[in-house]
Amino acid sequence: MSGLENGGAFTGAAKYVLDEELAKIVNISMALEMPLLLKGEPGTGKTMLAHAIAESLQMPLIVLNVKSSLKLVDALYQYDTLTRLNDSRFGDSSRDVSNIEEYIKMGKIGQAFVAERKTVLLIDEIDKADTDFQDDMLDVLDQMEFDIIEIDKTIKARHRPVIIITSNAKKDLSDPFLGRCNFHHIAFPDPDMMRRIVRVHFPDIDNELLDSCVRTFYELRELHGIEKKPATRELINWVRALRLDPDFRPKELVHGKIPFLGILFKKSPDYQQALQQIRRRR
Amino acid sequence: MFVDFFYLLRDSGIPVTPTSFLKLHEALKSGLVKGLDDFYSAARTILVKSERYFDMYDQLFAHFFRGAELPDFTGVELEATARALLEEWLKDPEALANALGMTQEQLKSMSPDELIKYFLDRLKEQTEAHHGGSRWIGTRGTSPVGHSGFHPGGMRVGGRSMNKSAVKVAMERRYRDYSLEAPLTQAQIGEALKRLRRLVPVGPKDRLNIDETIRATTKNAGEIEIVFDRSLRDRLKVILMIDNGGWSMDPYVEIVQLLFNYARAQFKDLKTFFFHNTIYDFVWEDPPRRYKAQRVQEFATWDPESRLIIVGDASMAPYELMATDGSIHIEERSGLPSIDRLNFLRQMFRHSVWLNPTPLHLWPVTRTIGVIANIFPMFELTLDGLDRAVASLMQKN
Repeated sequence: MSGLENGGAFTGAAKYVLDEELAKIVNISMALEMPLLLKGEPGTGKTMLAHAIAESLQMPLIVLNVKSSLKLVDALYQYDTLTRLNDSRFGDSSRDVSNIEEYIKMGKIGQAFVAERKTVLLIDEIDKADTDFQDDMLDVLDQMEFDIIEIDKTIKARHRPVIIITSNAKKDLSDPFLGRCNFHHIAFPDPDMMRRIVRVHFPDIDNELLDSCVRTFYELRELHGIEKKPATRELINWVRALRLDPDFRPKELVHGKIPFLGILFKKSPDYQQALQQIRRRR
Repeated sequence: MFVDFFYLLRDSGIPVTPTSFLKLHEALKSGLVKGLDDFYSAARTILVKSERYFDMYDQLFAHFFRGAELPDFTGVELEATARALLEEWLKDPEALANALGMTQEQLKSMSPDELIKYFLDRLKEQTEAHHGGSRWIGTRGTSPVGHSGFHPGGMRVGGRSMNKSAVKVAMERRYRDYSLEAPLTQAQIGEALKRLRRLVPVGPKDRLNIDETIRATTKNAGEIEIVFDRSLRDRLKVILMIDNGGWSMDPYVEIVQLLFNYARAQFKDLKTFFFHNTIYDFVWEDPPRRYKAQRVQEFATWDPESRLIIVGDASMAPYELMATDGSIHIEERSGLPSIDRLNFLRQMFRHSVWLNPTPLHLWPVTRTIGVIANIFPMFELTLDGLDRAVASLMQKN
């Protein structure tokens, strides 16, 4: 409940359009002190949500970007053996070589545990890591403590962080993992929602441009054989580009003339594919 | 509280655990759940751990709290088109009431189910299409477009209204696309194929090997000697053979393309070949099967640890598989029937599977499917089948 006591419930942040259901889910997860697992295709704002929560609850945000090679211990702490070896060899540093603790650096999860105040811990793209990592990590997050074996010390979390975990994968994570998380799937925003999202980023955008951009965007998402469909981020960058182009008229979109296609389709086969299909349609 | 609901979810096949059920109770006690709408979100986020069950959850929720019909009962499963049409008209309850020939008051008193049933009954009554009339529902009728309108007692209607009720949201089945029966998407294929991995040390020596470093340093009388290792990388070789000929594969072109595109992005060492119906002397590197031929015999020299994935419907006339001159291309008639070639490939690559886009229940209809399934482990080209195919490919022996 501490999240609620601190600064009230989460209701959304300046640059994030929150749907009501998701706000409920975030608040329930904070109340239950359970990690919230967010799934959904890229561009649905999974990562942005953590930023928005941190912003609106005024907590520091710590981001752990998961990579396939990441080991759990790296996320907890690092024992800098090389520096210690070096110091012991040359002895010209101010560190005390016999004190291993001076060579322990906290990883992202460790940082969240030892932080002075409650933090938001975002574990981004958990699906990139292997199953063992996921399960072990949840053990740590469950118990809110971990051991540093080199110095035989247990690090306990001072404040339980608000934990947001994201996953791009459509496939399920392991059962024990899921059992300890709350789950939500963020659907791709519908056109209405998308208009609101764009408007948050460009408050002064005129309706004609907004409507034709969003309409074209959803049409382009329907093209066949595209590997990476344009998502929210691409749309926003594209709108930004269109607004900067003094020669651009929204009517051109209606006539199937689409400038800056490369902003929307970033892979070259996709780009070619899109170009072809747009030409054919015209 | 809600124990029945819990068991309903469980019995219907949603994997809900007692622990999560207790969590839900904790949530209810926390005071954050203030009504059925909150309960809908809370119960889903706590109990249901995959979007593939969201659709089922929606249906069960609607059933439990509103008595909506369960899908596996003999009830009316509303056609998507009928529903779309209905929703279009629901944007304006008044117009709908008029169209159905009743007052708004009568309409209010009906539950969404009754409404849909009534609507379906009327659909049955109507024998011919009726466009643009004033009384009954047609596709070009004069529906006034009132956005985010709200039918007082019935279903929630289009737009993003904030005063929506959970039962009606559940009735919308927003998550239909994610349910288990939905077709494969790229990300799903990617996820299934991701487990095809074989990690071997390659690349520059850039990993510090602490144990070796200590050993070498002590050996060196304390003079620091740092030892590096190569890092582990994925070195799996994959051979993909795709049946891209013949009308019988046409319906599956898109799904196979998806698989192919993903495989190309995923595996660094991927060789793709194409064939028509079944494999004879050659497979081709180019989709038109004309320019770059690869002799099947030469696969004997390839790494036997390669994973061979063949994608095809395995449906053909039996003689194409069995006869020594089965191939329709004259230059391919070397005297070996296709079935021998397939056996040969299976012997060369012990990690091999056949993915068949034909739905499983149709397999017994085609004889050659059975024959080929005796040679290669055959799996349906669905998420589930792909999963099992990958498991089979990664078996140790």
